[in-house]
Amino acid sequence: MTHPLLNIHKLRIAFRTHTKQTDALKGISLHINSDERVALVGESGSGKSVTARAVLGLLQQQRGIEIGGRIEFEGQDVALLKDSERRQMRGTKISMIFQDPVSSLNPVFRIETEFLEVLRRTNPKVTLPAAREQAEEMLRKVSIDDPHRVLRSFPFQLSGGMNQRVMIALALINAPSLLIADEPGTALDVTVQDQTLRLMRRLVEDHRAAVLLISHNLGVVREFSDRIYVIYRGRIVEEGPTGAVFADPIHPYTRALLAAVPRITKSGIPKLVDDISQFTEPCEIHPARA
Amino acid sequence: MTSVGRLLTARLGISILVLLGVSMLIFAIARVIPGDPARIALGPNATHEQVDKLRADLHLNEPIWKQYGYFLHDLSQGELGQSLYTNRPVTTDIAQFLPATLELIIVAGVLMIGLGLPLGILAAKHQGGTIDNLVRIIALLGVSAPSFVWAVILMLLFAFYLPLFPIAGRIAVEFDVPTITGFLLVDTLLDGQIAAFVDALRHIALPAFALALSGIGQAARLTRANMAETYHSPYIEMARSYGFPEWRIARRYAFKPSLTPSLTIIGLDFAAMLGNAFLVEAIFAWPGLSRYGVAVILRKDLNAIVGTVLIISAAFLIANLVVDLLIALINPRIRYSRGRV
Amino acid sequence: MRRAAHILFSRPLSIAGVVLIGTVILSALFADFIAPFPDHRGTVVDFTNFNQPPGWTNIMGTDLVGRDLFSRILYAFRLSLILGVVVLSIATPVGVAVGLAAGYLGGWVRFVLMRTTDVFLSIPPLVLAMSIMGVLEPTLFNGMIAVTAMWWPWYARLVFNITLVEREEGYVRAAEVIGASRVHILFVEILPNCVPAIITKMTLDLGFVILIASSLSFLGLGVQPPTPDLGSMVAEGARYLPDSWWLTVFPGLAILVAVFGFNLLGDALREILGADL
Repeated sequence: MTHPLLNIHKLRIAFRTHTKQTDALKGISLHINSDERVALVGESGSGKSVTARAVLGLLQQQRGIEIGGRIEFEGQDVALLKDSERRQMRGTKISMIFQDPVSSLNPVFRIETEFLEVLRRTNPKVTLPAAREQAEEMLRKVSIDDPHRVLRSFPFQLSGGMNQRVMIALALINAPSLLIADEPGTALDVTVQDQTLRLMRRLVEDHRAAVLLISHNLGVVREFSDRIYVIYRGRIVEEGPTGAVFADPIHPYTRALLAAVPRITKSGIPKLVDDISQFTEPCEIHPARA
Repeated sequence: MTSVGRLLTARLGISILVLLGVSMLIFAIARVIPGDPARIALGPNATHEQVDKLRADLHLNEPIWKQYGYFLHDLSQGELGQSLYTNRPVTTDIAQFLPATLELIIVAGVLMIGLGLPLGILAAKHQGGTIDNLVRIIALLGVSAPSFVWAVILMLLFAFYLPLFPIAGRIAVEFDVPTITGFLLVDTLLDGQIAAFVDALRHIALPAFALALSGIGQAARLTRANMAETYHSPYIEMARSYGFPEWRIARRYAFKPSLTPSLTIIGLDFAAMLGNAFLVEAIFAWPGLSRYGVAVILRKDLNAIVGTVLIISAAFLIANLVVDLLIALINPRIRYSRGRV
Repeated sequence: MRRAAHILFSRPLSIAGVVLIGTVILSALFADFIAPFPDHRGTVVDFTNFNQPPGWTNIMGTDLVGRDLFSRILYAFRLSLILGVVVLSIATPVGVAVGLAAGYLGGWVRFVLMRTTDVFLSIPPLVLAMSIMGVLEPTLFNGMIAVTAMWWPWYARLVFNITLVEREEGYVRAAEVIGASRVHILFVEILPNCVPAIITKMTLDLGFVILIASSLSFLGLGVQPPTPDLGSMVAEGARYLPDSWWLTVFPGLAILVAVFGFNLLGDALREILGADL
């Protein structure tokens, strides 16, 4: 492979309303190789999510948006593709995990319908039973023990963590080469978020997918990614292998971000077991109070 | 689907209670009447004895709750009493006039849904564009005139100046259609008279459209607002990120979730149409409940007033029940939560 | 305020609403000066000049007894507006009081009030007004009673829904904690939060009251001749279609103009006040 899987070159994005123009991205460059996990870190409003949507080609069709620079996926300039070709790429070669799993799943679809729809992106002839089988297997991989029940459920009948896993399973079921994760699980509580990332890491390793992780939280990024880009007000201010950036941040903004990471233990929250029965009584009620 | 069944039973129970309340309200209104219904019915030439006898027959000399008791008892037998205007049982009168009115309302309802929803979807797709503004103006104009004004305007334009449709009535006199269901559009087909069916359809077109016009506008506007809101929801962005074609997103992902509020308003519009049918029927000489209703009101024909209002309210409650059922079928969240009420 | 003015005067449709309503209100107020034949609102008969099409002296034509249609429509506007204002100024306080009480107090008070509201709401609006008119004599005053009786439940439901949400808010809880009286909480704490929605609804409803009242008189169950009323004018003229089209078309358009104006204005208010109806 001579090309990186994804290569963004001097990408500029501006939003125009009748009165003024807002520059969201002021020429950022980044690349992701196959199998690589890359994080894009910055505060809200710094242009992270816009980048993700531009890669997916979701912005190109909107009115009032000006895009400059180049996005290359598998060596091909995305801007040169037709709308329909860009669409073809989504959900098959690139997929995305969203911030809020509960509201990102359609409230009137059962989970199995979501899987069927997504599987049909690559194989239009897939039947419901076949889709169910594939989905069950995938759900087991995201540590869902009763995939059958989950498939028959509607999103509002499942917990946030469950929905998050469903989203991951959906994103990976078509074996995409690039997975974009936009603040996965920030809408959930910290322990669930941590589990989510561990799961995702294991799965992308299995599926040999590259990941662009978008986050405002350096602590989350540290465990997950190979390389880091720090974005600040529409510009990349620092980049490098994760270890190097953490050991010796150059840009003052990165230092400020690092200083903001709470340090509880060396590796974040201790790994929790999924099995509730492992939480023995003393964990829930302290003996002194029982 | 047991959850839908549970929901239906719960709603049915509530509807019956509300209908009982309606009967009390209407009964109370009908009894505060100034003047003596017996005297009005018999006319000024009747003797005192005749009036007294009729008062006794109608239980008018007894306390009001006892009268209501008699009324409920009769109602449970499917009896609404005798009309003093036609001298026939009220149920017979209603059975004669109701089908024409229902047919008109049903066709208007089909027009409202068949035109209102697509217009709303179209406007949502072209937000801020010409079509969007046009739909907005149509919607506002539609609710801004009573349906008798639209009836007059439509009649002038499409029956007099451009004689595309007949001026009045339900069907041309040369057709002889046997009464099977009372719905001419159904009876003509059952009898195999295609020409008569087409004629009945042409007769119903203008009145139904006049009746539907305000509903079309409202349904379009609401559907547009909901579609626009749904289009901004995360699950539509997710669907886009999976590369589904836009038409599929519109049809499969956005339409269903945004339908719930539209259906609710359609239920309310149905109520409005039940009332407005009186106005449209008057203009187009439609032989429905209207002439009967106005006549019995002007003659203070108590049994007929109570019966007519009760039947109309029952039709409204049934329509709302159907709407609730449809919403539950479309929206699983309602199906699973409110079903337990 | 600046934002309000901006919304009101920057859009063609809102401007149209202000202009229409302004015209209707002014012509109702100054009907005596504008109307070419002020005495034609009464029982004037002029058989030399009856059923004339629109022309120079009678810009909207004359009716079946020779009265100037334009003059009668101006006076009909006056009647419609008075009716709308009276109906809403009775129906709104009643509905608001019921909604506040039911929403805040709960228990059997809520049960009785809201179930009663439901009963009223489950009779199609026009039918309820018709049956009330049926038992009463068809006069302007009774027409107002009938329309008021069908109108208050809508305000009760609106205010009830808002109150249900607001009573859980922090500021209400805080007032309860410091021991404020129920009356204080209802009227000083909760009511102001209902005001934007109420004002928006009243503007829209002024149009709809005019519409319903004209429907009643169209059926012969409202204001009686010779008082000029838009609904009964349409009903009278409908028998002479299509030849004497002006008899129905002008009163009909007059209703449309008034109600359309209030709708446009209400729509703009909805946005200015952020009311969600």
